[in-house]
Amino acid sequence: MDRQQVGVMLVLEDGLGLKFDISCFNDRLICQKAIYLAQAVGINLGYYYHWYLHGPYCSSLTKDGYDINTEIQSREWDEWQLDEASRTKLKKIRRVFDVQDRKQLASKIELFASVHFLIDRKRVTDRNVTEITDTLRRFDKPFDESQVRKALEELESYEFLR
Amino acid sequence: MSSSVKTVSGKFIVDSIHGDIHLTEAEWKIIDTPSFQRLRRIKQLQMSQVTYPNATHTRFSHSLGTLGLMAKILDITEDLGLKNKEEPENLRLAALLHDVGHYPYSHLMETIDNVILAEDLISQSSGGKSVKKSLDTKQMNPYPGHTELGALIVTSHPDIIEAIGNKDRAKEVADFLTHSTTKSPQLSKLIASSLDLDRLDYLLRDSQATGVPFGHIDINYLLNNLKLSPSGMLGILKKAIPAVEQFLLARFFMHRCVYYHKTTYSLEEACKQLLRRVRDSDTCNYGLAVKGDDVKEIVKSADKLQEFDDSYIDNIVRKAVKDDKEVVRALAISIQSRKPPKLLKEVCVFSDKEDENHRGTIFHQNCKFQLEKLASDFEIPLGQFLYCAPKAIVLEKNINLRKISEVQDMTEDEKSAQLSEEEELIRVFSGNDEKEPKSLSEIEHSIINKCANQSFKIFRLYVVYDGNDRVEKIRQLETAVQRWE
Repeated sequence: MDRQQVGVMLVLEDGLGLKFDISCFNDRLICQKAIYLAQAVGINLGYYYHWYLHGPYCSSLTKDGYDINTEIQSREWDEWQLDEASRTKLKKIRRVFDVQDRKQLASKIELFASVHFLIDRKRVTDRNVTEITDTLRRFDKPFDESQVRKALEELESYEFLR
Repeated sequence: MSSSVKTVSGKFIVDSIHGDIHLTEAEWKIIDTPSFQRLRRIKQLQMSQVTYPNATHTRFSHSLGTLGLMAKILDITEDLGLKNKEEPENLRLAALLHDVGHYPYSHLMETIDNVILAEDLISQSSGGKSVKKSLDTKQMNPYPGHTELGALIVTSHPDIIEAIGNKDRAKEVADFLTHSTTKSPQLSKLIASSLDLDRLDYLLRDSQATGVPFGHIDINYLLNNLKLSPSGMLGILKKAIPAVEQFLLARFFMHRCVYYHKTTYSLEEACKQLLRRVRDSDTCNYGLAVKGDDVKEIVKSADKLQEFDDSYIDNIVRKAVKDDKEVVRALAISIQSRKPPKLLKEVCVFSDKEDENHRGTIFHQNCKFQLEKLASDFEIPLGQFLYCAPKAIVLEKNINLRKISEVQDMTEDEKSAQLSEEEELIRVFSGNDEKEPKSLSEIEHSIINKCANQSFKIFRLYVVYDGNDRVEKIRQLETAVQRWE
């Protein structure tokens, strides 16, 4: 595993308490959005995201996911640890991922990542809930205003947005 | 041989693979820009010419070939009645520009963050206890992918924007490069899927240039057997299954024989490790971009971009031959004098993840725990041992094999999510009366059904050593590494 892949495993398993799994769609979505959100709080793993069918998506992370899967038995990442500053940052957002049901978790972090992406990449003019909801609808994302408002509040409280 | 219908401009280029490629005014203008002409100075196959002397073709000819294929397929899909919401011109421009952001020596420089240096590989211990290595994410600022750089060039260089027409249209074209457009999934598939035009062109072109026959795919048969389902899904007719299988296998064999060729790969790996060491050096990096952001600055500048071709790396290697550090010097000399690192051992594994502790994992563990001692015993600097495990080759993903009960339990949203992801899969009309195509991996009698999700991975250990006792020392090293088992 290269350093980027080691970083993915450290962020997911040690930092966010998520099991690496890419066996079904929701699992792959969780992996994508969790790394996106970790990068959003300053864990720089170098994955570049663009907007795709389910919000921010990184094709090279998908490739790395399949590569990690072939070397999962080696548990290479056990010999590494994230630097102290990164661990502190991840500790602060760990509760976001504390959802037992994988489907609910996937939906929640898809919304978080999507709202963050729209604001961060200036696809919306400000943090206006109606504008964000409308923009998401244009991308066929059926989140309502109350869901977007809650996501926005949490993104701010967890300091994803400054 | 003619790959496309004539255009108003009357301009065309003769391509050795696809024949005449007719160009629009915008395409002609783009080809003439310095940013696009730069691709003439970037070899398609990195260092393959050391093994296959004719493999000197460039990203330039491949880009033109991809445009030629796009023109051909747009003619076919128009006949099929596929409604595209995108302008066909944008798809043609995206095909032409899909590699405009490539690094010097193509994927070589782009992937230097992925190398595993020997000192990162070995297990660290102190007082008999293993010590965890620290991964400082602040230090990580990897180079961006070439598609991201391509999008940056297309949206920031005035000459390209002018040739395309305007900024908005340039953005639409750039969205194809980063695979961010979702307006017309069936046609987007032609830019990014298991059967995309990029792959179709490079397999044919690389095969012809190297003389290795595996990439000779039956492209016309594939394209002439496309069909559109009533719901607008693009698939391939049942009779073309062997052609599709051969295409997927062609990619697999071309990786094994050409892209991962042991000698070519050794020099490429030596160059990647050299660049990585130079980049991370505190003292001297010979002008090599240190951070991902530095690379973005290079490609945004018209002047700097012109210097960002294969010679950018050649110059660094030339200077590194006299570097203060022994390992950097040894790597540079190996590349410049074409004395490839010697392969000490190679382990090939064809498996899925269920196969625990396969030979590759064992070899990897052996390298991790025994490499330091090997280096010390033979008095060769640890950094001159090159461990590498190129990315696994997967024939085709098999993500559609769901139980009917599972699909029945899915909500409409989940079905749509599943379907959209499967846009990247090759679909086949498996029966004469079948209305909607299935993914190839679902067809029981297909090779792909048996091999989907299986991945092929190579694990290698090379050494760079050029002492007078080279032959004898390498023989002893090979014996020592064999004994690890």
